[in-house]
Amino acid sequence: MAILLLLPALALVAGVFLWPLLRYGWLSLQASSVLTGLVPVPNGGANWQRLLADGRFWQDAAQTLRFAGLSLALELLLGLALALLLHRPLPRRGLVRAVVLLPWALPTTVMALGWRWILNDPFGPLNGLLQSLGLPAYGFLSQPATTWLFTVLADVWKTTPFVALLLLAGLQAIPSELEEALRLEGAGPWQRLRRLTLPLLAPYLLLAALFRLAQALGVFDLIQVLTGSGPASSTESLALYAYLNAMRFLDFGYAATLMLGMFAVVLGLSALVLLAQALRRRLAEMAP
Amino acid sequence: MPTALPLLAALTWSLLPLLWQLLTSLRTPEALVLQGPSAWLQGWTLANYRQVLQGDPPFWRYLFNSCLVGAASTGLTLLLAIPAAYGLQRQRPALRGGISLLLLAAAMFPYVLLFLALLELARALSWGNQLLALALPYAGLSLPLAVLLLRAAFADLPAELEDAARLEGLNLWQRLHRVLLPLLAPAIASTAILVFLFSWNEYPIALTWISRNDLLTLPVAMARIAGSSVYAVPYGAFAAATVLGGLPLLALVLVFQRQIVSGLTQGAVKG
Amino acid sequence: MEVSVLMPAPFADATAPLVAAFNREHRELQIAVTRGPLDTEALSDLAISSLLLGDTPYDLLLMDVTWTPKYAAAGWLEPLEPLLGDNALAGMAPGAQLGNTFGGHLWRLPLLADMGLLYWRTDLMDAPPKSLQELAATAADLQRRGVVPWGYVWQGRQYEGLSCVFLEVLRDFGGHWLRLGDDRQSDLDSPEAIAAAGWLGGLVRSGVTPDAVANISESESLQIFGAGQAAFMRNWPYAWAELQKPGSVVAGRVGVVSLGNGTQGSWGFSLLKGSAHPQQAAAVMRWFTSEATSRDLAVRFGYTPVWQSLLDDPQLQEQLPLLPVLRQALECTALRPLTPLYAQLSDVLQRQLSGLISGSGSAEAAMAEAQRQSTLLLRAAAPGA
Repeated sequence: MAILLLLPALALVAGVFLWPLLRYGWLSLQASSVLTGLVPVPNGGANWQRLLADGRFWQDAAQTLRFAGLSLALELLLGLALALLLHRPLPRRGLVRAVVLLPWALPTTVMALGWRWILNDPFGPLNGLLQSLGLPAYGFLSQPATTWLFTVLADVWKTTPFVALLLLAGLQAIPSELEEALRLEGAGPWQRLRRLTLPLLAPYLLLAALFRLAQALGVFDLIQVLTGSGPASSTESLALYAYLNAMRFLDFGYAATLMLGMFAVVLGLSALVLLAQALRRRLAEMAP
Repeated sequence: MPTALPLLAALTWSLLPLLWQLLTSLRTPEALVLQGPSAWLQGWTLANYRQVLQGDPPFWRYLFNSCLVGAASTGLTLLLAIPAAYGLQRQRPALRGGISLLLLAAAMFPYVLLFLALLELARALSWGNQLLALALPYAGLSLPLAVLLLRAAFADLPAELEDAARLEGLNLWQRLHRVLLPLLAPAIASTAILVFLFSWNEYPIALTWISRNDLLTLPVAMARIAGSSVYAVPYGAFAAATVLGGLPLLALVLVFQRQIVSGLTQGAVKG
Repeated sequence: MEVSVLMPAPFADATAPLVAAFNREHRELQIAVTRGPLDTEALSDLAISSLLLGDTPYDLLLMDVTWTPKYAAAGWLEPLEPLLGDNALAGMAPGAQLGNTFGGHLWRLPLLADMGLLYWRTDLMDAPPKSLQELAATAADLQRRGVVPWGYVWQGRQYEGLSCVFLEVLRDFGGHWLRLGDDRQSDLDSPEAIAAAGWLGGLVRSGVTPDAVANISESESLQIFGAGQAAFMRNWPYAWAELQKPGSVVAGRVGVVSLGNGTQGSWGFSLLKGSAHPQQAAAVMRWFTSEATSRDLAVRFGYTPVWQSLLDDPQLQEQLPLLPVLRQALECTALRPLTPLYAQLSDVLQRQLSGLISGSGSAEAAMAEAQRQSTLLLRAAAPGA
């Protein structure tokens, strides 16, 4: 009986997630591009062979991982700090929380253009600051070696509040008596953090990490607006490459293959994170 | 540990880029490229706001579209998620675990991958350029997280509560409506806000499903304002749009921040 | 009966009064214009998603010159010669006739011409440079003497604009994108192509062009040149009016010349397949591109007309001081490759050039890689592959 209540939701979820994957599976075995007049023609595994030999796919995969890895690390770190701060009794706490959450509530495309202006060389305010300090202007968005760092900056600015929010919820679930008891034992703030807060926060950290990892691996609109993949494709992500193939090149067979390839990367990484978590737990149980 | 300094840092970090947008929105294009301290004496204007508000269609139209889609998506999601969460909580543990795991996997899926197939779906069903039709993929994408959050909240309620209600002869609908839902209000509110913000933010699907100007949602309209003028990147007008588009959100977050946090606390991660 | 048209916003705004007048005069035939984004790639995304969504709401689409073969190959366009006859382009400037036919059919009727131009500062030099070498030397000299912070700004962001900039330089060095006489072969590793790429890279390395060029599109280069911070700028004709506006730092101190081989970037109308009333749509297309409309758009907005008679018209030349330059530029434009795979070819080239100008590797290596990837793409497209 209760299963009937579940069905409508599950059906919609399946329609939105499962159907596209099946469709991509089929499309990835077809040639469907301007060269076939957009008519799907089976081409065996040609798309998959192309994917394996496509240096750009692997380069983009590495760049996407680089972006996601650093974003995730910074967001967890800053998010934790922010959550600890917001958990304290603050003057006008409601207003402070709202202000801190605001970057998360603004659409990505909106602030991506804002960042493009802030990072503008030579007229943006950051370069204005450098110049007023007597330093030369810096091409924040034109150096292949460093531009990706500024895409990370924009992402961290936008999504740290979300991580902080999740962690704040976790902090509020920790009974304050426990903290009090530790304090009476003479534990300092650092020790309380390590011995009490972090272990109890672990599931929230894991959840935040998994969420953010998946979304960061799918980074799309931020980069499209901020750098347009450049310079020298040094900020191109897998999602952008797939989008390019679908909407600009009209090569749907290969776009579908790229999307499945990306899905495989995400799946592999999530499995890795969960595995590491399980392993850590096992080791902790074995320890005396 | 003193609070003032980190607090100041956090506020600066969050606000400074936004304040710069506010400042930019009040400057003429010529003033934006002036350098040196004397530049601040001139070039202030409200023209950017005028341009954005008097555009065709006017800016409030995009705000309205986004609110409409957001409300429809939130409503649809809750309508499906609340019974589903209840139903999920009533399953055998093994099945419940299995379904939860699948939902978790879906919730963490980088949904940008789906746009191409969803575009084909919209074509097959003639859902292109139907504002309310966007609520379907948005609800589908939000449901996994919504069901998980609400299921955890149901799990937190004492089982005796519903048993007592059942003994009193209340049917399922009455039990949900009169006993359970009022207790779940905070969790429902926070779920609703998460769903609303997701649809408020969503870009790739809105970009591909809507091509009519007067039906655009805010993120797509903003991206389009960015590229709608020959006259240099209209950073000023764009910044004005950011400010106008950000205000409703500021109000929303200001009013609901307590619910957002407390709703998540209701055991999102415990189950 | 309503014919609906999708255009970039500025064209929609420019034609709005004419369309309103048309609609007043023709009760039975109305034109409904949709304002799309200006950014060429954003408009392409919008047009393509509306086409992929099926039964597009538009009859006519104002298209960039490079889209034609792709849209035709995708089966989205109606050939125009059954509606407009075989001589629809007769009377247009030779440069404007290019890029409208593909595979033996006419797919597109040009509304206005557009080509790369060189903007120079009349207060800093007596005459514009006559060659690229002279341009680089003058720019470097002015910069060395501290007259301007930068010598030459152009579009180096990794996007279509970079391909346009490169093509002009390539043609100036005597090279070709696709092999002359065999357009199924890429010719990007020729000595001329390497020299052209090396020249662009050299501008950045010697500091004549700022490093920031790797993220600069039309608007940013206009911003820098308009602020008086550069001696030269490569841009399209629209920039002229912007630089003359009151408040512009450089108003009255800017000259324009043909680049010699300016990249052709015209906009034109195509008829989308599935239009419910192709006859009426063709009539609207004819009206939009008529001499009368072109004249009006030229006078009020400085849009480059495609009709030779207008380009030669002394009265119009009086109203539009820029017209002789535009006419001359239109006599020798460089056309980007006409192939459904153009987007991929351009993407490959942009990627390598962006790497080169943002400072890694040699021109030889960049062009060799661009050649290798282009060859793979073109081979896949060859019949029988």
